[in-house]
Amino acid sequence: MSSDPYSPLVRSLFSTAEHSGDLPGATCASADTQGVNVQLAASVEGDKITALRWKAWGCPHLLAATEAFCAEYEGGTASNLLEFSAGDLMKKLAVPVTKTGRILVLEDVVRSLGQAIRDEST
Amino acid sequence: MSGDLVYLDYAASTPVDERVSVLMTEVMTREFANPSSTHAAGRAATARIEAAAEQLAGLLNTAPSKLVWTSGATESDNLAIMGAARFRANKGRHVISMRTEHKAVTDALDALVKQGFDVTWVEPAANGVLALPTLEAAIRDDTQLVSIMHVNNETGAIQDIASIGEMCRKRDILFHVDAAQSVGKLPIDLGSLPVDLMSMTAHKVYGPKGVGALYIDEKPGCHVTPMLFGGGQQRRLRPGTMPAPLIAAFGLAAEIAEGRMADDYAHLEGLRNRLWNGIRNIAGVSQNGDPDNTFPGILNVSIEGIEGESLLLALEPICVATGSACNSQSQEPSYVLRALGRSDALAQSAIRFSFGRPSSDEDIDFAICRYTEAANRLRRLAPGAAA
Repeated sequence: MSSDPYSPLVRSLFSTAEHSGDLPGATCASADTQGVNVQLAASVEGDKITALRWKAWGCPHLLAATEAFCAEYEGGTASNLLEFSAGDLMKKLAVPVTKTGRILVLEDVVRSLGQAIRDEST
Repeated sequence: MSGDLVYLDYAASTPVDERVSVLMTEVMTREFANPSSTHAAGRAATARIEAAAEQLAGLLNTAPSKLVWTSGATESDNLAIMGAARFRANKGRHVISMRTEHKAVTDALDALVKQGFDVTWVEPAANGVLALPTLEAAIRDDTQLVSIMHVNNETGAIQDIASIGEMCRKRDILFHVDAAQSVGKLPIDLGSLPVDLMSMTAHKVYGPKGVGALYIDEKPGCHVTPMLFGGGQQRRLRPGTMPAPLIAAFGLAAEIAEGRMADDYAHLEGLRNRLWNGIRNIAGVSQNGDPDNTFPGILNVSIEGIEGESLLLALEPICVATGSACNSQSQEPSYVLRALGRSDALAQSAIRFSFGRPSSDEDIDFAICRYTEAANRLRRLAPGAAA
């Protein structure tokens, strides 16, 4: 339906949520603000992020965006996270402009995670 | 309805009864003349309208002459509130209503405020029911109109319109009731109820969308100033060509509802109880509204720690509502539930299940299963949950 507020990709990511969960002993970052709660965890070997997991409380767009982030950046580096911008993800998932604030919370958490990984490696 | 969907949103709209659909098509295609025309074909259309008025009046135990056809409950609410307030403006400009009313009422009252009227918003108790002393305290010497809905569209809370009406009548205050959710579902005897104006619509009672009615009592001082102009139809109160097919359909829907009201009620009560018993033990679930004084066609539940929009998506293919359908484009917490004292988080997690004639035990069992799964899954995804 054209009035569907969720793109097929959002629906798919929301329903699979393959990267949801915890990583015991991993590097973490989180934020609880703007009516959403996002928690990211990363396992790192050397400079490489070997696993990313998430937990989140929020709307389907936020959960889908968080899942999309983990799927895309697993295997990347802390530098990749520090350069992460939510804009591309919002376009890809067709997130309504009214939800920009929520997705920016994810952006903040991703960058915090990147910084935490970098701090731990030095 | 697609075969994959489980529709549990009958408070938003109901399917047109097959018999109603047949009649509507027949009038639309065979008795299509303008009811205002005086020739035989026009008179045939008029006869359909008169028959419908008899049917609806029969359901409500009132006179057909007290019914004005409209496009639906929103127009009826607007005509009642704006029309009555303007008609009595020279006596006073104060109106009382409740925070939990439908937007068709609250927005009409907001428009009145911009025209120099004064509105007092009374608060219901936590169970959604208005306490009479609360209303009494709000009444002033210049109060001309009280507008209180019969059954709340989000929670199903039933107001004591008989007692409210008595209070108004003793003070020569007009009493308007938005009965969009109760006409055809609960017994309404306008021959004895002290109600001056009552709004209703066909599509909540297995009739078509696009037609409603406003009951206006025929007594001195009870009148509405029209909002539309353009013809002499309906005593100039609501001019315009009357849609005979829709009106005939509403009439038949009303007659059918009258005949099966007790059975419908028992059916809805069984479904509501089955669903509530199936989900009430999920951690953090609570019912919004008074379990002992709620129309059984509606079950509104909140759940702690779950985000409402995600819950709605996770419940698919079940069709339910977060707020009222008219307001569900917004994902803001329901203003009705906030008025009942629910926190933003609980109000935002609220789901309104509403049942209808076609609803089955299988639908309910599926809903129980889906709601339980969705709640468990979203809790697992949330921070703080065990991995």
